[in-house]
Amino acid sequence: MPTSLFQLSRKKFLRAPQLEAKLAIKLLMGFIVLYFGGSLLFAGIAVYPILSDQFPERDPISIINSVLVLIFILELIIRYFLQQLPVTEIKSFLLLSIPKKRIIRNVLFRSLLSVYNAIPVLFYLPISISMLQDDYALGQVIAWWVAVTAFSLCLNFISFLANKNNKALAGFMILIILLYLSESYMDIETLRAVGYFFDAIITQPLWVLVPLGTFVLLYQITFSFLKKNLNLEGSLAAKKEVANAGRYDFLDVFGSHALFLKNDLRLIVRNVRPKNIVMMSFLFLFYGLFFFTQDNQPESLLVFASVFISGGFLLTYGNYVPAWDSEYYAFLMCQNLSYKKYLDSKWRLMTFAIIFSTVLSLPYLYFGVKIYLLILSGAAFNIGLGTWITLYGGLLNKQPLKLNVKAKAFENTQAFSGKMMLMIFPKMVLPVLLYIIPATLFNPTAGYITLAASGVLGIVFKNQILTQMAKLFAKQKHEMLQAFTQK
Amino acid sequence: MITVNSLTKSYGEITVLNIDQLEIPKGQCFGLVGNNGAGKTTFFSLLLDLIKTSTGEIISNDIAVAQSEEWKSFTSAFIDDSFLIGYLTPEEYFCFVGELRGIDKAAVDLFLETYVDFFNDEILNQKKYLRDFSKGNQKKVGLIAAFIGNPKVVILDEPFANLDPTTQIRLKQLVKAETEKRELTLLISSHDLNHVTDVCNRIVLLERGAVIMDKETTAKTLQELEDYFSA
Repeated sequence: MPTSLFQLSRKKFLRAPQLEAKLAIKLLMGFIVLYFGGSLLFAGIAVYPILSDQFPERDPISIINSVLVLIFILELIIRYFLQQLPVTEIKSFLLLSIPKKRIIRNVLFRSLLSVYNAIPVLFYLPISISMLQDDYALGQVIAWWVAVTAFSLCLNFISFLANKNNKALAGFMILIILLYLSESYMDIETLRAVGYFFDAIITQPLWVLVPLGTFVLLYQITFSFLKKNLNLEGSLAAKKEVANAGRYDFLDVFGSHALFLKNDLRLIVRNVRPKNIVMMSFLFLFYGLFFFTQDNQPESLLVFASVFISGGFLLTYGNYVPAWDSEYYAFLMCQNLSYKKYLDSKWRLMTFAIIFSTVLSLPYLYFGVKIYLLILSGAAFNIGLGTWITLYGGLLNKQPLKLNVKAKAFENTQAFSGKMMLMIFPKMVLPVLLYIIPATLFNPTAGYITLAASGVLGIVFKNQILTQMAKLFAKQKHEMLQAFTQK
Repeated sequence: MITVNSLTKSYGEITVLNIDQLEIPKGQCFGLVGNNGAGKTTFFSLLLDLIKTSTGEIISNDIAVAQSEEWKSFTSAFIDDSFLIGYLTPEEYFCFVGELRGIDKAAVDLFLETYVDFFNDEILNQKKYLRDFSKGNQKKVGLIAAFIGNPKVVILDEPFANLDPTTQIRLKQLVKAETEKRELTLLISSHDLNHVTDVCNRIVLLERGAVIMDKETTAKTLQELEDYFSA
């Protein structure tokens, strides 16, 4: 029964609780994967002709080679945060009479089937075909593609090894930074050397043995690492960390809200999933760069970008309030806590995050006062209305979240539903309307004022809104409890 | 203290709990026994309004638990590990519970001092998060946390399960001490007939959601229960 281990994975999916919801999510994710895959494929097809068009004096493939190292680093970062080897499933097989080697091979092979490994096919293969059309010899092209693919797959194992070992990651990051610094300040070509290496492969295809060898070596290292650690104390054990005794006493200035705020901060700092998600919310700060750097952008897009800059935390973390507390929801519901105060602290947390992002976005002043005014009024909207819409959406969400488990590839969707999609919609469209309508009727200043005023409105009526929210919260209690206890 | 009136809980066609009338007076140590699926945890969940009743009501200290939230101010419980917050250290967890019940850190520390024996040097100052403790030690934390703030009603589901023998005996002493110290209504469910008859002054036996036996504990109770379960 060589496929029995695969059958188990299939059953695991088919027999999961809430299969229908999961199926819908899978379908939606399927579309998203298709979208990203399509974009990647399109990029792969387009990049070569565009480069040869734009830089006729240079060889397009050597331009691609020179940036390959950046692509690899980016890929590694994405893999590190999102990809996970399915090692924990091994536990139940340990006592069965399946050779350890086969279990490990299965895990490693399955990790090669991950969506991330479609990159070589989708992106690099079209480039290779372009190369063929550009009169490169078949041997050269194959060597290049195999080399790139082998490196990409190496990252698969590197991200796994680094995942199990924080020091390795820190070492790797420092190495990259040092290489970068040496390159930009001392003119030592190190990162660029990767580019030259791939150039060399095209001139001498035999060099392909180096990446292939690296791949085999990494496979062996991962294999023996797993083999050595394939026990309950080794790689199967959950990481045990020394508790960080930070007392967060500085939050006491918030009086009775400090209690929940402290807990929320600890939740974010001490659990894998929220930590990753909050780190991702920092990326939203750079959203403006896409839009502000180009001329003649429609104003609606500028508003949209401005709201996103300060609202990253709302979209990433806020959407799952109160599902973050789902692991101990029954406990909370037995405690003598005021729902209003609970929701109020969540609101405060989001507000801090918005203010924090707004302060961090000060460099956008470079693009002019107008842009920054837009960011400021967008932040006001986020504080006053965005938070409430987010909380409302969160209250409708009935999917539990596991805190200390990484989100799987393209499955950052535990707690994801159609209702929540509907909630994201007003968050994106409403601010645009609030700005555009008065701005076209009167002048941009009216737009800023209306957008900001809408937020002020939400703050003025905070108490009333909270009362309504608390009522909804209380009404949902049993449904939430039932949903959150399903594992 | 707690009055149950024609309480039923059904899922679809299946009725999992059906208690016509039950009265738990103040200060009683109430023991609930029964095989798996008898409805013990369901009963406790209904008491804590964690699930909705199908019919009937539970009144705790003149408050209908499904109608008002007031009962939370004098009730505490430890049902399972979803009552723990995994990413907190035990100290932080105790403080959190204390603050929710209006007790400051100093008072919580004072309270914990009385349970040093119970913790057996395995809980405090371990620099570990609750999720990294063993099941038994997690349980110790949850059980003690349930007594913070002198609640009038304490509900413990299977408190003896997963505990080591020493801690089981200490838990019995603790429970006896607490019930003697003040007017505490304590509800315990257990599969351990020995312990439950030792601690509780009343035993109710549930089977398939119905009360089969309801007796004050006497010297004969343990034997009666053993006879029932071996039959």
